[in-house]
Amino acid sequence: MELGRLEYLQALVTEFQVTDSTGNKRRRSLALSVSGISSRPRPFSLAEAKEQVLANLANFAYDPSNYEYLRQLQVLDLFLDMLTEDNESLVEFAMGGLCNLCLDKTNKEYILEANGVEPIINCLSSSNEETVVSAVSTLMFLTTPRSRAQTTALPVVECMLRFSLSANRRLSNLASIFLQDYCTAPQLEEARNLSKHTAVGIPLPKD
Amino acid sequence: MGHGKMAAGSSSGAPGAPCRHHAQLGACESRAKYREGWRPRAVKVYTINLESRYLLIQGVPALGVMKELVEQFALYGAIEEYHALDEYPAEQFTEVYLIKFKKLQCARVAKKKMDERSFFGSLLHVCYAPEFETVQETREKLQDRRKYIAKATNQRDCFILKKVEGPKKTVSKNSEQDCPWSTSGSHVASNWDPSCFTSSPGVSHNIAYPSGNQDESLLTSPHYDNNCTQVPGYFGQNISLTPSVHPGGHTPPASLMQQRMVPAYNGIDRFMPRTTHLQERKRKREEGNKFSLIGTSEDNTEVVIGPQLPEIPKVDMDDESLNTSATLIRNKLKEVADSVSTSVEKPESSSAKPLVKQRRRI
Repeated sequence: MELGRLEYLQALVTEFQVTDSTGNKRRRSLALSVSGISSRPRPFSLAEAKEQVLANLANFAYDPSNYEYLRQLQVLDLFLDMLTEDNESLVEFAMGGLCNLCLDKTNKEYILEANGVEPIINCLSSSNEETVVSAVSTLMFLTTPRSRAQTTALPVVECMLRFSLSANRRLSNLASIFLQDYCTAPQLEEARNLSKHTAVGIPLPKD
Repeated sequence: MGHGKMAAGSSSGAPGAPCRHHAQLGACESRAKYREGWRPRAVKVYTINLESRYLLIQGVPALGVMKELVEQFALYGAIEEYHALDEYPAEQFTEVYLIKFKKLQCARVAKKKMDERSFFGSLLHVCYAPEFETVQETREKLQDRRKYIAKATNQRDCFILKKVEGPKKTVSKNSEQDCPWSTSGSHVASNWDPSCFTSSPGVSHNIAYPSGNQDESLLTSPHYDNNCTQVPGYFGQNISLTPSVHPGGHTPPASLMQQRMVPAYNGIDRFMPRTTHLQERKRKREEGNKFSLIGTSEDNTEVVIGPQLPEIPKVDMDDESLNTSATLIRNKLKEVADSVSTSVEKPESSSAKPLVKQRRRI
């Protein structure tokens, strides 16, 4: 069972990497082989394959028993890399994957070491609701005494203030928890003063 | 800058309004064969933010079948609340219901089982409805997830279960004690990590390791769902019952729900024959998804519908010899579950382990 799971995850990552490679012939043949296997008439794109694989990995990241394998296969790096992709779905799924696995101590340290906080903060500006929501909770989960200067930096707190007023209940709940549980009173004060005077900040998601 | 991009009003995210995450995505048709599951699935990632004790059920035929619907869902666990959502857009001749489970785990299983199920001739669509959560409920959800991970990941390193230290913060009680560390962070040691911290007062360490949950160690062997693009990769009935189970061996506050769910198997009752515990747990494992009807609510203000999930009891005994015996039994069970040799561990080695456990720090 152990081996089967590792192999499966390996196949996922390999598929992802092959999909990512340049070279038209390889792409086309992959697309053909995949669509041939699944034997569906619907046209199939490589972007879709990547999305599926990434979603699969992100869902695997929910289960702690997979963490060792995911680390071995460098999936954490994969998730972090995907945060800067143009494809909104890839960002959403990668952000979800990080949210799922970042509570584990080893994973947390790895993400912090890899300067993962910055791209995650950038995800707060996404127009994708799921991405933003995942980013908020991930920042909470990644907050440690050492990292909190970064995860609760002024622009972040100011952003959370605005999120907490959102009509989107999921977002406002999470933002409220962020402000209440992870920020000090001086931080809140400073952020409130900031939002009164300046226009710099992180936009709310479109939804 | 005055961002115009505010979150839209009632059309998204507010409870009772259609949300994007309620929408049923089309099934993915282009999945590679080795990733094909048994049922057609959409491409979706589930995080703790999407999951909820609240389930939204669409497609219920408007035949006055609310009672039957609730009874059906109650098979998966205790239901705290339910009502129709009249303002939610519904297809003609169908209704929409909201069902709130007591436990997230039950909601998860119920969703998996009942989604796309036929009900009185109509196909149900079941999804999570986290927008109905209060801030406190969301907070507790995140904390439960934290505790679960802390337990599960340390579990992997050490299959020996730890002694629980004291009354844990439990769901929906102690609501005033929210993560005090954020304000009292100045006195915390530098290597402290919030992921293993709960806000129970007076507890200094290792709160996240309840004892008596040997089933976790047995069942963290890889067990993943092929259809993982929609469902998180583990079945909770094996694993996450314990985080909210109250430890035995201490008198818990009377208001705790969990105590009511563990009537006969409370660790306080140390005179219950240990073989009964063993057989009971073995039976539960073998039955898999079947839930027995145990426990009644002593608190009449709670409406408990349907059978409650059997709580795995905590075997927290203050007695060294009892702990030794418990460890012995757990190890034995572990061996059986691993399907390897059935060599019996020496009592001496197992008695050494509780000492090692207690020194272990995260």
